[in-house]
Amino acid sequence: MVVPREFRGHPASPGRAVGPVHRAGEPPAPSGRAGSAAEARAALKNAVNRAVYELRQLSAGANAESAGILDFQIELLLDGELLAPALARIDRGEGAALAFAAALNDQIEAMASECSESASRCSEAKQDEGAEVDPFALRAVDLMDLQHRVLDALAGRTRADFPAGAVYVGRDMPPSVFLAHDWSSGGAIALGAGSTASHVALLARARGVPMVVGLGALPGETGEALLVDGTQGLACLNPDPRLLPEAGLLPDPHPDATPRAVAPALHAAPGAAPFPAAAGGSETPLLLANLDTLADLDTLDPAEVDGVGLVRTEFVLTSAAEALSEERHLTVYRRLLDALAGKPVTLRMLDLGGDKALAGLNEGDPAGMLGLRGVRFLLAHPDLARIQARALIRAAAHGPVSVLLPMVTLPAELAAMAALFDEETARLARQGIEGRRPPLGIMVEVPAAALTLDLFGQAAFFSVGSNDLMQYLAAAARDNPAVAPLYAGAETAMFRLLDQICTAARVLGRPVSLCGDLAAEPAAAGRLRALGLHGLSVAPRRLPALRAALGTRLGATLPPAAPGAGSPDSAPGQA
Amino acid sequence: MAEPAPLIGRPSAPRCQAEVEVTHGVGLHARPSVAFTRLAKSFPCTIEVAVDGSGDWLNGKSIVKIIGARIRRGTRMRIRAEGARAEEAVAALSGLVRRNFDEDRKPGRADGRPA
Repeated sequence: MVVPREFRGHPASPGRAVGPVHRAGEPPAPSGRAGSAAEARAALKNAVNRAVYELRQLSAGANAESAGILDFQIELLLDGELLAPALARIDRGEGAALAFAAALNDQIEAMASECSESASRCSEAKQDEGAEVDPFALRAVDLMDLQHRVLDALAGRTRADFPAGAVYVGRDMPPSVFLAHDWSSGGAIALGAGSTASHVALLARARGVPMVVGLGALPGETGEALLVDGTQGLACLNPDPRLLPEAGLLPDPHPDATPRAVAPALHAAPGAAPFPAAAGGSETPLLLANLDTLADLDTLDPAEVDGVGLVRTEFVLTSAAEALSEERHLTVYRRLLDALAGKPVTLRMLDLGGDKALAGLNEGDPAGMLGLRGVRFLLAHPDLARIQARALIRAAAHGPVSVLLPMVTLPAELAAMAALFDEETARLARQGIEGRRPPLGIMVEVPAAALTLDLFGQAAFFSVGSNDLMQYLAAAARDNPAVAPLYAGAETAMFRLLDQICTAARVLGRPVSLCGDLAAEPAAAGRLRALGLHGLSVAPRRLPALRAALGTRLGATLPPAAPGAGSPDSAPGQA
Repeated sequence: MAEPAPLIGRPSAPRCQAEVEVTHGVGLHARPSVAFTRLAKSFPCTIEVAVDGSGDWLNGKSIVKIIGARIRRGTRMRIRAEGARAEEAVAALSGLVRRNFDEDRKPGRADGRPA
């Protein structure tokens, strides 16, 4: 008879679930760390060798025709001429994946234009042979295919999934592991460290995966049964079966309950109404959804929202190979637009750096929270930014897209990105590809930008990222439990600054919305509403609670014809 | 990698050159290019290719260069080699082009040598 053992932590995502423990290995030391060119060269060569090995395995078991295609890719990978431009980029300081992807994109683009230039010769060849396609044009497809294979190989070392339905037990959990896992059979997360305000906690709340953080000692060994109560902040090893109404997943009795510990101060005094609904509140803000994965679309009824206020593209595109593929970006954006059926969608450009890593593109580095993050990373890697910009411009031709820039500090950063969008819009027009320059807005999450919003007249709209703004205001890392009270206590400063932000935006005539966890606090809804925010954007699961708190019916404030949604010079109604 | 240094032209090394017409249905697209470069790489000597009287000599062991040259049917292809087994290499590669890369001989190895 096993004795139940209880572990106490902090509730990070509500709900209860029980499952076998999966003990995560300690994360391996990041091998391709933004470091020497020699390491990046070695990482690329290893990835190429692995890709060649995989292709040889495939080729060995393939029929003659398929083997021919695979042999072609093998020969390409073994050709020093193919890798030379990538290695030259690495020597100029680029990371392995970006260098390789950008170098191959150059070659793919060169081929596409070569083929259109030699179109007449192509057609002669067609007549000669009665062939349907130019056989020499097939190469671009092959290059793209092997580009993906090598990028996957570069990223491969971090892709360690665990059994469906298991409880993930570890010190902390990388967002990429959360995103790569299939949560449809249940499961939960129990972390020894971690934070209620980390990205992975945010993902867990959005997805409805019960999660407890700050347990200290890690409960259980792989295979033992662990109950995670994300509402109470408890984990129980070998739980008494009588306590479980049914074995397996216990549905959360209050799926729309407030995430308890997002900002503990908000709950410190039950009944004290930390945010008395201020009088004089202006119009009801728009209700918008945050989306982190395409699977989130399943939990979202587009009729229930005014639009999508934030798509975190760095979570939607889960590998370097995807993030570096313009077509993959476009496919994802079009799916989002189709699902929203004409309602505005705000896509945030890749917010990489800090604790958000895309293996092979950059390595997660907590110290990087004050380093090359967000728009800084994009401007430092214009090839990556251009890939995403082109896809966003092309997506904007299909629906009301607006684009958010993450981590903007100075107006010059916005100006640089605006120029990049103008250039890519012109380039697509020259190539005869359909596109529309989307309006650009900025995330307000760096205090320097928040305090100088009047200088950002070039922005079409503003979106306050309350999680990051709070952590930078309080100089308290959002994923460090030791300073969690400081993080939560920065709320007073936060509201003073929000007031200033909203005033500045009103003077500029630009809409402001809020898309952090604060927006999902029904207790804060009245106070937020009093600020005159244009929109509140929360995870789909939080929408009903927020709607109730706002006491509003959907569409009450929708502008009649969504003015501006079709014009690149003004923000669509949602910001 | 930069353009290969002009290795060919040193007086002492054995040299050889030949010209051959591409008669293969399409020309040097994917599969024939694989056969050509694999065979080229099996020789220790330097191998270069130029097409239709062009003075541009391309690295015959690089599939990127070979396929980038878009060598179609009817192209006059010059092949030259320098170094150990140069003569043998030029003969083998010319033969491969003349035999239409052994594509009608199935199943065969991609480089045209007997399986």
